[in-house]
Amino acid sequence: MIKVSVNGEIKEIEENLNVKQLIEALEYKTKGFAVAINTTFVPIAKYEQTIINNGDTIDILAPVQGG
Amino acid sequence: MKSEELRVKSNEWEIGGKTLKSRMLIGSALYPSPANMEEAIKESQAQIVTVALRRQSAGEGGGNNFWDIIKELNINVLPNTAGCHSAKEAITTAQMAREVFGTNWIKLEVIGDQYNLQPDPYETLKAAEVLIKDGFEVFPYTTDDLVVAKRLADVGCKILMPWGSPIGSGQGLMNPSNLKAIRKQFPELKLIVDAGIGKPSDAVEAMQLGYDGILLNSAIALAQDPVKMAQAFKYAIIAGRLGYEAGTMQKREFATPSTPTVGTPFWHQFT
Repeated sequence: MIKVSVNGEIKEIEENLNVKQLIEALEYKTKGFAVAINTTFVPIAKYEQTIINNGDTIDILAPVQGG
Repeated sequence: MKSEELRVKSNEWEIGGKTLKSRMLIGSALYPSPANMEEAIKESQAQIVTVALRRQSAGEGGGNNFWDIIKELNINVLPNTAGCHSAKEAITTAQMAREVFGTNWIKLEVIGDQYNLQPDPYETLKAAEVLIKDGFEVFPYTTDDLVVAKRLADVGCKILMPWGSPIGSGQGLMNPSNLKAIRKQFPELKLIVDAGIGKPSDAVEAMQLGYDGILLNSAIALAQDPVKMAQAFKYAIIAGRLGYEAGTMQKREFATPSTPTVGTPFWHQFT
């Protein structure tokens, strides 16, 4: 197991997960979000080839109200 | 008064590759309820609405209810990078927004001071340059500083959004002469007054300076009646634009009668 930060919360996840597997493991059910790892955007096309490493900071963002 | 009762001529204009009728860019935050937001946006007849991205929790559906309402409105979405404090954060947020919202438009907002939420010109400039090269249509939120405006134009910004006054302050135009100078120096750019608008007359004033549009949120959302205020701003922006296009009269030092003096009855003649 490795430790990562997901939206500010520390979580333990299995090693060698890619972004697609991480999203499934975290049970994100809805679409319409975007992912950044260590403040770098990860496009959908790169989900499967991007492996999560110990200590990574993952942000999963969705639409909200804004000015 | 129903909207259709007042018929005004409002010319189309172009921004970011789109031809629009409305010159209002309306925010989607701070309304008393989602239903009120929806009604206010509809009443404003704005064709651009600003939105944002924030962390989504698993399972809760995040902001998707909100996003469903916005999608239903079928108007242009302008995502912002609100809350970013560096070029790097803003660039990442813009890239994420492009994927989520399916638009290359981005309201670039990099805050440099937490007290007055003043934009950081250095980081904004850095981010603008990168984003334009990456194919974004950048709507940069900036101060009313002429040199910053020049630098943003130099890196390829076709749109500038100088502030009227600090975000959410409702102070109106702090420095109309600076805004006027930017308009004069950049006739080819699309200029939007963003932030600080408090009342409809502020919008009229900005539009009379020749600005192409107004971006506002708090002034409508925090009004006692946001829907009615949305209508007020709709007409204010049209009035200001028409006033600018019509060309205002020159101010004069002394009074000049508007009624003909020829044929004035004797009892009105001064000796």
